[in-house]
Amino acid sequence: MATQTIEIREAIRQAIDEEMERDQNVCILGEEVAEYNGAYKVTKGMLDKWGADRVIDTPISELGFAGLAVGAAMCGVRPIVEFMSFNFSFVGCDQIISHAIKMHYMSGGRFCVPIVFRGPNGAAAQVSSQHSHCVEALYGNLPGLIILAPSNSYDAKGLLKSAIRNNNPVLFLENELSYGKKSEIPTEEYLVPIGEARIVKEGRHVTLVSHSRMVDLCEEVAHDLANKGIEVELIDLRSIRPLDIRTIAESVRKTHLCCLVEEGHIFSGICAEVGFQIQERCFDFLDAPIERVCQRETPMPYSKVLEKETMPTKERILNSIETLLR
Amino acid sequence: MRRQLLQGRETMTGRQKQDYHLFQHDLDKAIQEMGKEKILGYLKQMLLIRNFEIRAEAAYLQGSVGGFFHSYMGQEAVQTAALAAMGVDQWWITSYRCHALALLLGATPNELMAELYGKAAGNAKGRGGSMHFFTEEMLGGYGIVGGQIPIATGAAFAIDYFKKFPPKRAQNKDVAICFFGDGAVPQGAFHESLNLASLWNLPCIYVIENNEWGMGTRVDRAVCVEPIAERKAPGYAMEGYTFDGMDFFNCYAGFSHVYEKVKETSEPVLVEVLTDRFKGHSVSDPGLYRSKEDLSKCMERDPLAIMLKILSSYGMLDEESYKAMDKEQKEIAVAAMKFAEETPWPDPIELEEGVMAP
Repeated sequence: MATQTIEIREAIRQAIDEEMERDQNVCILGEEVAEYNGAYKVTKGMLDKWGADRVIDTPISELGFAGLAVGAAMCGVRPIVEFMSFNFSFVGCDQIISHAIKMHYMSGGRFCVPIVFRGPNGAAAQVSSQHSHCVEALYGNLPGLIILAPSNSYDAKGLLKSAIRNNNPVLFLENELSYGKKSEIPTEEYLVPIGEARIVKEGRHVTLVSHSRMVDLCEEVAHDLANKGIEVELIDLRSIRPLDIRTIAESVRKTHLCCLVEEGHIFSGICAEVGFQIQERCFDFLDAPIERVCQRETPMPYSKVLEKETMPTKERILNSIETLLR
Repeated sequence: MRRQLLQGRETMTGRQKQDYHLFQHDLDKAIQEMGKEKILGYLKQMLLIRNFEIRAEAAYLQGSVGGFFHSYMGQEAVQTAALAAMGVDQWWITSYRCHALALLLGATPNELMAELYGKAAGNAKGRGGSMHFFTEEMLGGYGIVGGQIPIATGAAFAIDYFKKFPPKRAQNKDVAICFFGDGAVPQGAFHESLNLASLWNLPCIYVIENNEWGMGTRVDRAVCVEPIAERKAPGYAMEGYTFDGMDFFNCYAGFSHVYEKVKETSEPVLVEVLTDRFKGHSVSDPGLYRSKEDLSKCMERDPLAIMLKILSSYGMLDEESYKAMDKEQKEIAVAAMKFAEETPWPDPIELEEGVMAP
């Protein structure tokens, strides 16, 4: 099988490009996606290839263009909406929360909203309080929505293609610090199904669950612990909603110990949900309370010293696993 | 006209308030264009709306209908005329005050009443309720004030998109028509949508149904200019119009004019329709902020009475046949209540179906 080694940025670009080729109803719109070639160059070259009718620069008007995309999707267009940062989705979130995700149910199944909202989520390098929030926990509370958060090029491409073909609103969460991360993926077309977690590394001593960029951190932890003879089973959620609790529960029944890692905040976070569902399914299998490593309860500070302190770190994860094994 | 009611209660200064320029129509021409049969058909639709709202409200007061209930009574001429002028095959969208539009677009009184009763045979299977009616061409009634304005803009975007990239199933829609109240004008969604529509030349007709009240707040305490459309539209390089929402023929002529205009230019327009709701914001609103005198004065301009007067003067209708038409529509509404009463509840086993689209 032919392969290519590409960055996540390029994997996302390929997914969009292939789906635009496959279906002329697919278009992409957002701030700086066309003439500027994308704030993070995800849409580089697309304007030249597809033209301004399908690669559409919007004014800074998140509520307006998010809602426009919802309306267009109800009428048969399949828009991809790029948020320059998912933090800006808050300006337009009424259109996601009250309109896009409720439409199919509220209309008795008459209208669906095939739309992908995508863009970088969470912290980048010192972009401070208003550009660093992880949005998945906020949006995770909403039935009718699919939330995906890939950690590598393979999943980014395959999941995004599935998302574009799906008839529901999808939040596709990327990460600015991961856009340049390379991995080897097939050259030929493939899809990654929505709703399936991936076992990154098998192990029998402790289950470690994470998603998006924090998977990288967890891989380092798993590697370090392997040197000490501790076998970590690392699970990448990939899909936050729907959640593949079965894969997680199977692992926890095997290892009896579990640590959850999330870049976002601890209160009402994704880990709170995953942890509770583990408790529901694996109560008798757990040898210790589930550990959580999340962002501490501060807005994102600017100073790099403080920024590091509030985010999950390798040390904090190692400490948590040590607590579990004690 | 109606604005005289506000005298002595003015809150706006001369800087904010200017004169309205009502769209001028030729009544003879409008009547000739439509012909007697069609006109009586439109009157019948208005009577159906009126009777549906009266019975549905009665059902609400009996406890058969829950949630919120926003009556379209008093505003019937506006959407009836818009449909008469532009035909069903467009994209239509409105606020939570959505019963009339669904009826006009062909939803049956039975399915709509069943929806109000929360029954399985309802328009949205009992999941939407009073504020969320849909039809094939109706993108919905919406419960967030102004929330439908960006969505209508997207429908206009889709019309434009499919002209460039024709879909397999051809679509013949020319325009998206978006109704919202004066209370939605201060929302950001209004500004963002009009800016986008004008910037991208999207064929959208934005219609402010100015019934003077955003719940209990009178329009001159919420919107900083009067007239609204005439003064806001130029800021978006759009044309702005004012129609008399109590006069079916003025609305018909006005909507026909803007429809031709938008078809020709593919540019959006902004319309303000001066109308009145005869009821509170919703059923639970007793309307204590309006004097009885104020309300009875505005009811003198009942769109049905105005239409009857005009049609009588043209010898098209007399009091008696009007009453017969009214009775016929009343019976349809009463039968819808009976249907809604008797048709089964949704099966709770289906509660979680349809959250996700297949």
